[in-house]
Amino acid sequence: MENEYSSRLGYRLLLAITALVITFLIAPLAILVIQSFTAESYLSFPPPSYGLRWYANVLTSADWQDSAALSLLLACIVTPCSLAIGTMAAFGLNRGPLKGRQALYALMISPMVLPHIVLGLGIFRIALELNISDSMLAFVPAHLTITIPFVIITVGASLQSFDISMEEAAQSLGASRFGAVWHVTLPIIRPGLIAGAIFSFIISFDEFIITFFLATYSRTLPLEMFSTLMFQVKPSIAAVSSLTLAVTAGLTAILMFRGQVAGESGIIK
Amino acid sequence: MTEANENFRAWWLLSPTLLLYSLTFLLPVCLLVVMSFAKFENSVTSFGFYLDNYRKVFGDGITILIFWRTVKLSIYITVACVLLGFPVAMVMRRASPRGRLWLLFFIVSPLLTSIIVRNVAWVLILGRSGIINDTLREWGLIAAPLPLMYNTFGVVLAVVHVYLSFMVLPIYGALQAINPSTEEAAASLGASPLRVFWFVTLPQSLPGLAAGCTLVFILSMGVYLTPVIMGGNFVLTLPMLITDVVRNQYNWPAASAMSLMLLAAIGAMVLASTAVRRFGRQG
Repeated sequence: MENEYSSRLGYRLLLAITALVITFLIAPLAILVIQSFTAESYLSFPPPSYGLRWYANVLTSADWQDSAALSLLLACIVTPCSLAIGTMAAFGLNRGPLKGRQALYALMISPMVLPHIVLGLGIFRIALELNISDSMLAFVPAHLTITIPFVIITVGASLQSFDISMEEAAQSLGASRFGAVWHVTLPIIRPGLIAGAIFSFIISFDEFIITFFLATYSRTLPLEMFSTLMFQVKPSIAAVSSLTLAVTAGLTAILMFRGQVAGESGIIK
Repeated sequence: MTEANENFRAWWLLSPTLLLYSLTFLLPVCLLVVMSFAKFENSVTSFGFYLDNYRKVFGDGITILIFWRTVKLSIYITVACVLLGFPVAMVMRRASPRGRLWLLFFIVSPLLTSIIVRNVAWVLILGRSGIINDTLREWGLIAAPLPLMYNTFGVVLAVVHVYLSFMVLPIYGALQAINPSTEEAAASLGASPLRVFWFVTLPQSLPGLAAGCTLVFILSMGVYLTPVIMGGNFVLTLPMLITDVVRNQYNWPAASAMSLMLLAAIGAMVLASTAVRRFGRQG
């Protein structure tokens, strides 16, 4: 009896800690969004009056427009490339009767564990030698290096649960190898593809340190936010942050509704 | 379809990634290794096999100090993540499917939220004229703003906010793999809940705990953005030093040696974690 009582007490304690942790995770972002709607020229909580003043300010500012455009363009180039190359690699790892598949898989996802600061330093040096450091020619491959592992993991996890006999059935009914993959396999592993694409987009859109090394004059959105933040904390930074949050939250919602939560698609193994 | 053919097709599928990695990952890392043995004198880098950089890194007294400070910071962050993350993982395990999905949503969604946005949120809360200081001053409780950021506390708090998910998910994975009957057996034999946790649940969740700690520790060792924003110039970490040495002093050889130092620390952590996991499996 005593044990049961203390067990229940223990669980309540765990619940209380969990509630605190969730608050800790969510509350700062909620406060940020509320603050961004201030109509004053300074930030305070709760704001004395509300308005869209800072959103108008941000959306009409050339600096913010340019950096947002660059970040969106970059993410829109990176995402399809990352998805295509990463999916190919996932198929190669899944299908090939390769010796040392484990080692190869580890190599393929190793950019994930290499600190981005080291990766950025190395890529910066190569880009300097090739004289392409401040251009898309450097940004895109650099971002691909850190997004492709996520595609390999999400698509690889989908492929693992895919029943290959369906593809073989399509082939025995006359479909070409490519046709079978295109019309049968890819639609079935779509959740993995969507997860991979969303991770690629968000990671590229949010990438800071590698681009920070590479960029001389170009400013992506995170770089612009960083330099603004280092200079002064203004309401405009809250508005930009909220807009960024809206973009990523929208994409996250798609990911969740597709039933592909990171933990289940194997992001963490 | 012969095996050789299959093999060829697999390599063909892997080739774009391998080509990209060789240019953006393998070559750069090799270059850093080579450069770490180069000599840097009067702003000129001469290649060769010199140990000057390593002598400097280990001998100048400052770099090694900053290195240990970074390790200590990463340990604080990892411990905080364990203390906050383990209870959440345990609740997730016992929750109803619906509740579990919600918890998973709250844990995973920060993973997908821009890091700089989350840092901005903390600056607005902890800053000198952030919410906490403003409110306390308004109530007349404090005269001068409390030092909530631009110190270790602020950095740890903000980095934990970013990396907590990486701790919860592996622990949750390990907890889910535990057969509840082992715990019930212990309880029915009279063990108190605390003893059940300590002697039955915790040992079985070690692989997940080790994975989570490794991941968080590695990420914390390499984090640049959050310490810069939350620590200002008051918390200097190895990544900040590396960035400064390259961007302001153009001393690539020294920065390369420091990067390898960082990689060595991470490698050591991975080895330690593998050992723990092997130990856990033998049980």
